[in-house]
Amino acid sequence: MQHKRYRPVLLDYILLAFIGGSILYFFWKLENELQYEWRWATIPQFIFKNTNGTWEPNFLLEGLLTTIRLSIWATILASVVGVVMGLARVSQSCFARMISRTYVEVVRNMPPIVLIFISYFFLSAQLTRYFALDTMVQDLPSWLYSAISILFNKPSQLTQFVTGVITLGLYEGAYITEIVRGGVNSVQRGQWEASASLGFSRFDQLRLVVLPQALKVIIPPLAGQFISTIKDSAILSVISIQELTFQGLELMASTYLVFEIWITITMMYLVLTLGCSVLSRRVERALEWKN
Amino acid sequence: MGKSVLKAVVALLLVVAFCIPASAQNLMSELSKESVISKVIERNKLRVGFSTFVPWAMKDKNGDFIGFEIDVMTELAKDLGVEIEFVPTTWSGIIPALLADKFDVIIGGMSVTTQRNLKVNFSAPYDYTGIGILASLKKGGDIHSLEDVNKEGVIIVARIGSTPAAAAKQYFPKAAVRLFEKETQCVQELMTGRATVMLASAPLPAFKAYEFPKKLFVPVKGTFTKEPIAFALRKGDPDTLNVLNNWIRIKQDSGWLKARKDYWFEGKQWENMLK
Repeated sequence: MQHKRYRPVLLDYILLAFIGGSILYFFWKLENELQYEWRWATIPQFIFKNTNGTWEPNFLLEGLLTTIRLSIWATILASVVGVVMGLARVSQSCFARMISRTYVEVVRNMPPIVLIFISYFFLSAQLTRYFALDTMVQDLPSWLYSAISILFNKPSQLTQFVTGVITLGLYEGAYITEIVRGGVNSVQRGQWEASASLGFSRFDQLRLVVLPQALKVIIPPLAGQFISTIKDSAILSVISIQELTFQGLELMASTYLVFEIWITITMMYLVLTLGCSVLSRRVERALEWKN
Repeated sequence: MGKSVLKAVVALLLVVAFCIPASAQNLMSELSKESVISKVIERNKLRVGFSTFVPWAMKDKNGDFIGFEIDVMTELAKDLGVEIEFVPTTWSGIIPALLADKFDVIIGGMSVTTQRNLKVNFSAPYDYTGIGILASLKKGGDIHSLEDVNKEGVIIVARIGSTPAAAAKQYFPKAAVRLFEKETQCVQELMTGRATVMLASAPLPAFKAYEFPKKLFVPVKGTFTKEPIAFALRKGDPDTLNVLNNWIRIKQDSGWLKARKDYWFEGKQWENMLK
């Protein structure tokens, strides 16, 4: 595909002026009507702190790191669940289809906040009862202890973190299931039949003929879903998982710097999601070239 | 034959007679072994649930928790000889989280109410608070008494699940009540003039009126309720309750509690630790 240089037209300038005007109006309104006192100078210290000469991430940045960790693990889980369930959705076995259909409908038709509360008060209690994660971690050697801190979260909040990952993973997994199903169904029926007539087993038909073609359809919406995961992780703040939104809310409760903190948080999320968008665009391009 | 039956019955009775007190004793020692306090000692860590409330518990600019409750928790853990773990929790879910064993005790400026007491056990009160009124100059400039608040068209804001939220409905049935998760949001509603008054535990109304004199004011001085504040823990745990109650008594009599309360509530030397 060739990329033409884009020439802006009159409408573009009008829109640009409109957007710029709205932003200016918002700030003007805050300044004059609410007499909001901006205290931007206090924000940077909540991102980095300087203890004894060394710079360390302070809680907003820690929150962002927790958001990233949550999103990565949830994405991995969601992909596994989504692919397995997606393939079950197009399987020949009625039982497998019913299982995955039930899963998708239950999760998709439930407000995520309800799902999160249920899993927090139920799933998390089971995790503590049967696995005793918190005490298990306490007795670990120190290198493993710090590895867990880096890969997951502070060990004392491990159960909460794991609950969050599982919930988010199951939630996003339902959408990925549908993406996988859509991708597989987008491959023409004839491809299955042709490969069947060549003597491939059902598994080989899927693996060698159908999935490679489906992948092209699956990848772009999948990238979108990964970005959604980052945004949806904010909802885990209601169960006290200390990700970016939770840290921001707590900070607002003690400093009352409402607008500064919301704007900072928005920017942090934007950097993260825009980064992922750029990355997914690259992957799409690469796939386009291959074909 | 008859004799041996009698012997057997007597033997059985004897066994039972010895067993009853023994099993009662077992039960007691089981209970105290299962109590939160002995688990805390065993784990060497006290997990405390709370929610951000200025100046009870809040984050300073280094990300460390400070405040009156934080002092109380730290002192309690120190006296128990265990480590402390702070578990910040959203206020609306704090009792369910306690019941789900996310932490051992709530030390979060929680007022004792009968409704709450049906779900959790409360220690002896270690502090008292009351509800004060904060009003928006723009929308509630004409409010000068409690009667002025109980009118149609008045919009009261308060925090979800808090005693001010319950008081709003109880004392001012004619006014409309809107609830928010955080006090920040309530204050914001007042500042923008979307709400008339805010009900909140002292000293927040006075602090905020002092901070934003052009927008907020305190129409009725002082507080119009008095509520005991206590630690909350799961039910059926007399041992822990006993330890906490006596700890509070010790700290009250030594004057430690009052000194800490004066530091956080009377002055504002701590303010530059926040931002």
